[in-house]
Amino acid sequence: MMEVEGSSTSMNRAPDQSSFLRSRRSKALYQFKQQKLPACKPVLTPTSVITVFLLMGFVFIPIGFLTLRASRDAIEIMDRYDVECIPEEYKSNKLSYITDASIPKNCTRYLKVQKYMKAPIYIYYQLDNYYQNHRRYVKSRSDQQLLHGLEYRHTSACEPEESSNGLPIVPCGLIAWSMFNDTFTFARESTKLKVSRKNIAWKSDREHKFGKNVYPYNFQNGTLIGGAKLDSKIPLSDQEDFIVWMRAAALLSFRKLYGRIEEDLEPRNVVVVNVMNNYNTYSFSGQKKLILSTSSWLGGRNDFLGITYLVVGSSSIIISIIFMLLHLKNPRPYGDNSWNKKSLSG
Amino acid sequence: MKRFVYINDDEASNELCCDNRISNRKYTLWNFLPKNLWEQFSRFMNQYFLLIACLQLWSLITPVNPASTWGPLIFIFAVSASKEAWDDYHRYLSDKKANEKEVWIVKQGIKKHIQAQDIQVGNIVWLRENDEVPCDLVLLGTSDPQGVCYVETAALDGETDLKTRIIPSACVGIDLELLHKMKGVIECPIPDKDIRRFDANMRLFPPFIDNDVCSLTIKNTLLQSCYLRNTEWACGVSVYTGNQTKLGMSRGIAEPKLTAMDAMIDKLTGAIFVFQIVVVMVLGIAGNVWKDTEARKQWYVQYPEEAPWYELLVIPLRFELLCSIMIPISIKVSLDLVKGLYAKFIEWDVEMIDQETGTASYAANTAISEDLGQVEYILTDKTGTLTDNKMIFRRCCIGGIFYGNENGDALKDAQLLNAITSGSTDVIRFLTVMAICNTVIPVQSKAGDIVYKAQSQDEDALVIAAAKLHMVFVGKNANLLDIRFNGLTIRYEVLEILEFTSDRKRMSVVVKDCQSGKIILLSKGADESILPYACAGQQTRTIAEAVDHYAQLGLRTLCLAWRELEEDEYQEWSVKFKEASSVLVDREWRIAEVCQRLEHDLYILGVTAIEDRLQDGVPETIETLRKAGINFWMLTGDKQNTAIQIALSCNFISPEPKGQLLLIDGKTEDDVSRSLERVLLTMRITASEPKDVAFVIDGWALEIALKHHRKDFVDLAILSRTAICCRVTPSQKAQLVEILKSCDYRTLAIGDGGNDVRMIQQADIGVGISGREGLQAARAADYSIGRFRFLKRLILVHGRYSYNRTAFLSQYSFYKSLLICFIQIFFSFISGVSGTSLFNSVSLMAYNVFYTSIPVLVSVIDKDLSEASVMQHPQILFYCQAGRRLLYL
Repeated sequence: MMEVEGSSTSMNRAPDQSSFLRSRRSKALYQFKQQKLPACKPVLTPTSVITVFLLMGFVFIPIGFLTLRASRDAIEIMDRYDVECIPEEYKSNKLSYITDASIPKNCTRYLKVQKYMKAPIYIYYQLDNYYQNHRRYVKSRSDQQLLHGLEYRHTSACEPEESSNGLPIVPCGLIAWSMFNDTFTFARESTKLKVSRKNIAWKSDREHKFGKNVYPYNFQNGTLIGGAKLDSKIPLSDQEDFIVWMRAAALLSFRKLYGRIEEDLEPRNVVVVNVMNNYNTYSFSGQKKLILSTSSWLGGRNDFLGITYLVVGSSSIIISIIFMLLHLKNPRPYGDNSWNKKSLSG
Repeated sequence: MKRFVYINDDEASNELCCDNRISNRKYTLWNFLPKNLWEQFSRFMNQYFLLIACLQLWSLITPVNPASTWGPLIFIFAVSASKEAWDDYHRYLSDKKANEKEVWIVKQGIKKHIQAQDIQVGNIVWLRENDEVPCDLVLLGTSDPQGVCYVETAALDGETDLKTRIIPSACVGIDLELLHKMKGVIECPIPDKDIRRFDANMRLFPPFIDNDVCSLTIKNTLLQSCYLRNTEWACGVSVYTGNQTKLGMSRGIAEPKLTAMDAMIDKLTGAIFVFQIVVVMVLGIAGNVWKDTEARKQWYVQYPEEAPWYELLVIPLRFELLCSIMIPISIKVSLDLVKGLYAKFIEWDVEMIDQETGTASYAANTAISEDLGQVEYILTDKTGTLTDNKMIFRRCCIGGIFYGNENGDALKDAQLLNAITSGSTDVIRFLTVMAICNTVIPVQSKAGDIVYKAQSQDEDALVIAAAKLHMVFVGKNANLLDIRFNGLTIRYEVLEILEFTSDRKRMSVVVKDCQSGKIILLSKGADESILPYACAGQQTRTIAEAVDHYAQLGLRTLCLAWRELEEDEYQEWSVKFKEASSVLVDREWRIAEVCQRLEHDLYILGVTAIEDRLQDGVPETIETLRKAGINFWMLTGDKQNTAIQIALSCNFISPEPKGQLLLIDGKTEDDVSRSLERVLLTMRITASEPKDVAFVIDGWALEIALKHHRKDFVDLAILSRTAICCRVTPSQKAQLVEILKSCDYRTLAIGDGGNDVRMIQQADIGVGISGREGLQAARAADYSIGRFRFLKRLILVHGRYSYNRTAFLSQYSFYKSLLICFIQIFFSFISGVSGTSLFNSVSLMAYNVFYTSIPVLVSVIDKDLSEASVMQHPQILFYCQAGRRLLYL
């Protein structure tokens, strides 16, 4: 039910003939000045409220099922490898294993495919309990330098990785310095899988944020070595792993795209992954995971949206049923305020 | 302190060295920026934002780009500064216009044309008809042989009638040529703002030697911004110039009023500030602890082992900056904007235009609209506010005979007409007093009709009634009055006018009948100030009864009296009167005392009864507003019975048995205290009964009550929903407002005349009725409306909507700021309590300034209920009065 006020009353109240001749614009201005612009206001009667809740339920529940199904269609294989990849003898002292460069870091993981996975299959690595959103970390970069290279000198924000041995670092800053450096190769049984490492970064980043003529310079030459080294022959705009890493994550655990498998995987296939387990997450009890996932029209596997729709939809229906029962038990005609007499006159 | 003004003497006056430059400006070109900035920074909120903006310049702690605070801050400052600059520029322009106006002055005997700003104290200024007076002048000569001129003082006090001004007696008969060379000295008080008093003396130097010191009053002056009317020319010597004139001194920037809502918003801001400090401290400590325990393990963050001394402060300061958006920076600007619009809505409202005169409502104060929706007490004047102030002579009682009854006016009463034709002495004397005991000026229009220019509506009504009863006041020529009665012209010479003051409550004239040479005292005034002075033999009982009778009908009464004076008595008195008139100190009191000596042994002729009709819609308005929970007090200078009758007829109080009137009276302290206690007791007993109890108090008792029993009276004021205070003075009206305000009530004072100005200025909201008594009240008021009944719309529609909208807007402002701030706070728990901002600078600024500020301004056209339903159920105002929309307590 709606209450409509405005246009009709204002015409009645402006008795002079000239007001009818006014143009529409000045009529609107007149209505604005007299606070009589046409308006409608929903009146929350029990019937309308019950109807709205019921409708909401009927619309939301199917949407919920639909999105949940889409999310379930995406198939995901997740494998935490940071613990398993440490040899037995170092299990008690993980830190010395990871910091000792002389120990070989390679490790093999076997991922069993349960269901048919259609290409492209996205490969992500996931870090947990990693503060890429720490203020000291987020701020420690120079976007201008990433675009313009050595020409740009105001890189004080990059502290403490601004320069080493008296020379500026390109790319500077903690983010670049701590780049993820585990690598993965994929094979099915014994044949290598076709993996594409191109087009994993945002197009806008490649074209506008990272310079085509900016080459790494004096990078990872300091006393303290952080993460990955960069090939100083390739411009930053082509180093897509680096570009992906530089987009700092907002949350504590995050996934970053590593590449795409461009072959379908059949059920009961076993994917053999060769991991170079270089990156140190052991000092702060972080976790490293490898994920293979297909995508549906809604993206990757994520049940949250579907469940939310279902919860909201079903609670709407429950509320509408409660309201309906209450209304049937104590009906009150529209406009009857006898129940409220006391508080009004008080 | 006195000032000596030497007429026409440049050297002697130079020491007073104040030229006639008027300046209303707050700033000059040079001090604008520092002064305006200083003013803006004296507000706590601005200081706070400045501190935040400065802290943001330190890149170590700023979570966002400094521009996100500096931008809005500079924008907000620029907006307020340009508003001030704009206002000041307009003041400058109007000053310039007034200052550069060309005027004629006399210097060394020669007439010169100069700019108004160059007038010096002591210069002789010449004015032509319809000229504006450039500074305060003492009149020296006019084109009129009697030395009279007429001025319109509308710009000064809002009264549109013409006032007579007369040259001092010492200047009478001075030749036009000699005026140029006049020398003398005027001894006048230092500048003040009292536009009704000018107690000065003048002495002329040879060759105009005059032995007497000639006394000067306000009657001898032409004040700045009056207009010269009906007079060919006039000249005067300037005594006060520039900003020292009476007008200049009374000007002043009124203290800005703060609404209940503003106070609440300030309190909320304070509370949020405290909350913010707590959050900052908690997060700051947590951040430092986390840094020392966890962050060192995160190798990629590279926390240094060594840290400067301020290291401990860095994280708390970062959180302070992060949380600074908790206090919305845009609230002030958005509120100013919407408040300006509320005021415009009031001015635009076609339903609040007085059809009769075409005056629209006007909101002089744009900042307090939402207070209208929170009014709890309305203090109203009676005459001109509840009533029309259109006085009509209805009845009279002459010599114990009542003329006029329910069926018709006295004017049509055959009995009275017969008495006039038959020439009954009492009746003719009665009519004579009606016609000439006043300060009315008859103006002959071109068509030959006589139009009366009167300062008071009562006098106007009496003169018109007398004319209709064949006693026509035809002309006034200086001191000579012409009366035409039944074809005969009778001439009187006015010897003295004993003026009306609110203390004396009567006025008299002493006239001389030019034919018989008899000197007569004619008096008219309120009953209590005339009847005690009746001559010994006369029975005043019938007169008193007549007064009561008329008062019960709601009519205004005046007693008319008469006495023939002996020549000697008059001469003797006249000397004393002159003496009193030239006193500089306490002149008013001295004159009153001298007048008293003449006004005795009066022969009471009778009583006039004048009707002052209620304005239309008054009872309905009062009833509706009362239903809305607003209490009414009536404060009037009129007498008790009249006030009660008017109160009954406009629903102000209910008649017995539904209502009950409790009287507080007494002449002594004991009487008043006893009466007050009794009333208080009754009030307490009946508080639970559904009965309309009102108390009535008169000015005398009120003064005692306020002096000795203030606490009891305050208790009474809290208990009583209705009160009638009669015979109260303007300052008592203001005191009553003060008392209600001290009990934390929101008060609205409404009035129309000069006597309501103080009450209007004192109240939280002052409403003036732009009525017949001039514009004085409307000028002082925050809102001026044409009729009393518009008050209903002003409060229930405009006040209520404004309150709701402002409440919504301020709640929303706080809500959106807290919302985004809480996101930042929660994010800090998953970002290592390091003070990272989840949003980038541009988004943050756009959120505050764009996305959440501009769209929400649409709420100024939101209406929660239709106007009709608010009018139908005024009880809905309770929610606003209790302030429930802003804080749901």
